[in-house]
Formats: sequence, C-alpha cells, structure tokens
Amino acid sequence: MTEDKHIKEQKIVDQLSGTFQNLTGKVKRERRVEVSVEKKLIPSVLSYVKDQLTFTHMSHMSCVDWLEDEHFELVYILWSPELKVQLLVKTLINRENPVIENVDMIWGQLNTYQREIREMYGIQFTGLVGREEFVLEDWDEMPPMRRDFDTAEYIKDVFFERPGRDGAKDVREVIATRSGEEIPELAKKYSRD
Amino acid sequence: MMREKATTLYLGPQHPGITGNMMVKLKVEGDTIVKAETHVGYLHRGFEKLMERRNWLQSFTIVCRICVPEPDPNELNYARAVEEIEGREVPERAEWIRTLVMELSRLASYLLWFGGQNGSAGLYTMPQWSVGDRDYILDLFEELTGGRVYHMYIWPGGVRRDLPEGFTGRVLQTMDYLEKQLIKYDQLMFENTIFQKRAKGIGWIDPAKAIEWGVVGPPLRAAGFKSDVRIDDPYLIYDKLDFVVPTQKGSDVWARSLVRREEFQQSINMVRQIIDKMPAGEVYNKIPNPMKWTIPAGDAYVKAESARGEFGYYVVSDGGNKPRRVHVKGPAYVHGVTLLEEVLKGANISDVSFIMNSLGTCPPEIER
Repeated sequence: MTEDKHIKEQKIVDQLSGTFQNLTGKVKRERRVEVSVEKKLIPSVLSYVKDQLTFTHMSHMSCVDWLEDEHFELVYILWSPELKVQLLVKTLINRENPVIENVDMIWGQLNTYQREIREMYGIQFTGLVGREEFVLEDWDEMPPMRRDFDTAEYIKDVFFERPGRDGAKDVREVIATRSGEEIPELAKKYSRD
Repeated sequence: MMREKATTLYLGPQHPGITGNMMVKLKVEGDTIVKAETHVGYLHRGFEKLMERRNWLQSFTIVCRICVPEPDPNELNYARAVEEIEGREVPERAEWIRTLVMELSRLASYLLWFGGQNGSAGLYTMPQWSVGDRDYILDLFEELTGGRVYHMYIWPGGVRRDLPEGFTGRVLQTMDYLEKQLIKYDQLMFENTIFQKRAKGIGWIDPAKAIEWGVVGPPLRAAGFKSDVRIDDPYLIYDKLDFVVPTQKGSDVWARSLVRREEFQQSINMVRQIIDKMPAGEVYNKIPNPMKWTIPAGDAYVKAESARGEFGYYVVSDGGNKPRRVHVKGPAYVHGVTLLEEVLKGANISDVSFIMNSLGTCPPEIER
C-alpha cells in the first residue's frame, strides 16, 4: 500500500529522467518529487513539465547560497492541479560567475522572483527585463542575502551610535562589571555569532 | 505645444486606500489606468537573513511577524517544515489544536478583510463592526497564547500549551455571535445595491489565465476553480472535517466577496466540528535543548491555505543548529505585483483600492 501511494510520483521521475540527459530525481514522499538538472536545461525542463506533465502552477522560486561549496542552488517549485503533486526542480550555478537564462516567458510572475534573486544574491538572468530595484533602494554594496555579506560591518559603516550609546557594551559585560560577578556559562552561549 | 495624454499618479506608500506600506505607480489617461507598477521596499525587515543567524527555536519567534493580518500560517508552516526535515511526530491532539488556531485565524483575517474591502468603497460602518468583532477572536487568542495578534504558539513538535479550562465554551459562544453578525453583514454589505454595483464587473481576472498567472485562494475559487490546499495537499486534520470549498464564476470583486462570505460560514462550522471531535492527549513532542538542537541536512516545501490563499515555506537545513535558508512565499507576492499590475489595466482610479483589497494584497508578506 505504501508503494502504491508513490506510483504517480515515481512515474514523473521516470518520465523526466528518460527525457532529459543527466537529470536525476527522487520521490521525497507522497506528493513531493525532486529533480536536479544542469542549468542550461532549465528552460526546456520547465516548459516540458508545464506543457506535457500538467505542472501549470508555479508555486515558488528560491535560491540557497552554498558558500563553502562555491555555488548557488536555484529551486523552482511547481504544482500540478491535476496530479496533485509538488515538483522541485533544482540546479546549481557557479558562484564566481552566476548567470542563468531568464524564464519569465514561461510564467510571467517569475519576473518578480528573478528580480528579487538578482538583487539579493547577484545572480544574472540573461534576458531578464524589469526594474533593477525590487526592495532595496540605491544599493551598491554586495548583494545582502549572500552568506559572506557582513551585516555587523555594514551596520558599523552606515549607522552611527545614538548619543549616550557611544561605546555601548554587551549588556552581559555591563552587568558583570557592575555586580562584580562573572558572566554565567549559560549566558555565554548566547553568542552573537 | 504637445499636450501630454498620460499623467503619473503615486498611490502610496502613504494613502488611506493602500492595503499596507507599498506604492502603486499609476499611469492614467483621464481616470483610466493604462499602466500600473508595484513598488515595494517600505516593509523589508530582513527576516530571512535574520533567521540564518538564529537557532531553530529562536527563528520560530520571528516568523509570525512576517504577516500582519494572519500570522498563524507562518508559525504552522515553519513548524511543519522543520518537523518534515527532522522526521518529528506531532501528537494528535496538537494537530487538532493547530487546526482550531488556523480556522480562528482565518475568521480574524476575513473580519479584517470585511473592513478593508468596504472601507475602500466608502462603506465605513462595516470596518467599525468587523474590526470590533475581530476583537472577540483576538481575546480568545490572548487567553490561549498570551498574545492577541502574534501568538508564538505553534512550534516544532506541537503547540506550547493545552487549551485553558472553559476555553472551548468561550470559542463556541464567539462562533454563535459571529454567525448572528453575518446576517447583519449580509444586510449591510451583500444586499447593498451600491456595493453590488461597485463590485460587479470590477477587477476581472481571466479564468483561462488564472492558474498560469499564479492566482491562488479566493480569487482562484472566484474564477471557478475548486482549489484549496486543505483538500489538494491535505495537512493537519482537515481530512476528518466536513466542509465545502465554495466557488463562483464571475471572477470579479463581487465573486471574490461571495467566496469569502461562504468560507467565513464554513470556518465557523469547522470550528464547531473541531471542538466536538477533538481527542484528549499530549500537545507537545518536546524538542531537545534548543541551544544544541540540530536538524539533519535536507529541505522541505510546505504550504497552508491562508485566508488569502496558498502560503508556502521553503526551508533548508545544512545539518546545523540554525536554518540555512527560510524562504517565505505568501499569496500577495504574485497577487500584489504581477497580477495587480495586469488587473489594473483599464481600471478606474477610484477602484484601485477596492481591487487591491479583493486580491488580498498584503505588503508585509511580499518583502518580508
């Protein structure tokens, strides 16, 4: 019975891996399928799953920064109203030169997702037309959702301490100094890092 | 001298008709909109970046603040995503309580919508009633969770505490009251000729393009699609409840209003069923020491049917004690940007706010 529940999900994986080279996929659970593919195949895979496999609803598009592995991961999350299955199409993009083709001609709302990812991660979508700014205004720093964007450094550079807060210390240190007691071990675990 | 045909108007970010802090740049010829552009950025609080530097339990306290009108789907989605990646079971009673919270949250959100939709048409009596009635639900939330709007109650493993004594009786009294109020809402709003004339034929979404455009929730159901995450991708205990997913064919503001009105009644019925059938038991599968709690590497996409439509969370763990990525996608990300820009073409300036309310445009969830 458990295997019966995943028949339609497995069929989707088999059909995609039989159609596209180097595409790997798996059934995560009932109603959840995940495939990984090279970035150059993304437009073809997305068009195929929309037109041939009934994945007509674009639920979400996300980006994950795997800084230590030197790549970004783009995830396109689709839903088939007929099959009632959620499909995650994943691809990796090199962090040094993050470029991938724009796909908002397949789903118009991808224009918004791609604009935000371009702004927040610095990924270039070839052929993407749209206003440069989505959320940030006059931003010329590193794309801020990147893992190596130093938020503490940015705050120190851009904002000034309020008068009376100059040299404001960690509140635990202030309490320890005033009370003459050591900072307890438990409080030390609440690190800022 | 050439006469300029089109004028540019800025609706927001400070405007009584705007549904939150966002701006819609309108190019108009006379009173008719020829182009609309959504501009956001006034409400970006950087939640997703914040969560990358907070542990899994600390992040749970942040997620409810992402959406102002309906915070609970955020808590639920975050908890479910973490549970799915970790493989954590949730006690059955907790699932029933979560469902109760979700339906009360839906009712509160619809009451706010009644206010906004009518306020933007000039029917100001309605917001006075519905926002006042919403307070009775907020009182219930305050009793249950300690907070009126932001609850921090649904967390990974279950819910924070069981129902207080006598709580279910007070919930049922509130449902009886709201059901009676619905009759008054019908008289004031739905049977109101002026409201009908304002709403019919306005803000039309082409049903042939609705799914492709990413329309979800009441606007999709008002276009004739029986689409609801609670039945399409079941979660919690909705498969044990008896409810109808209403649809309309008009695909305009009027149709969307009728869908919401029917769903309001359905939610009242569901709350009564939940209280009648809720089993006894534990409400929390306790997590380990939160300072040392790590989630195995993996990812999950979970979604819930909020009052405005499909609300999704994509959560990624790298095996550590903090989320690698939490990416929130509310319905307004599409409804308030590309869909709104499309639907406003050809609309009258006086209908902009009316249409925005009918689409459930919610700026906090667009930019998080």
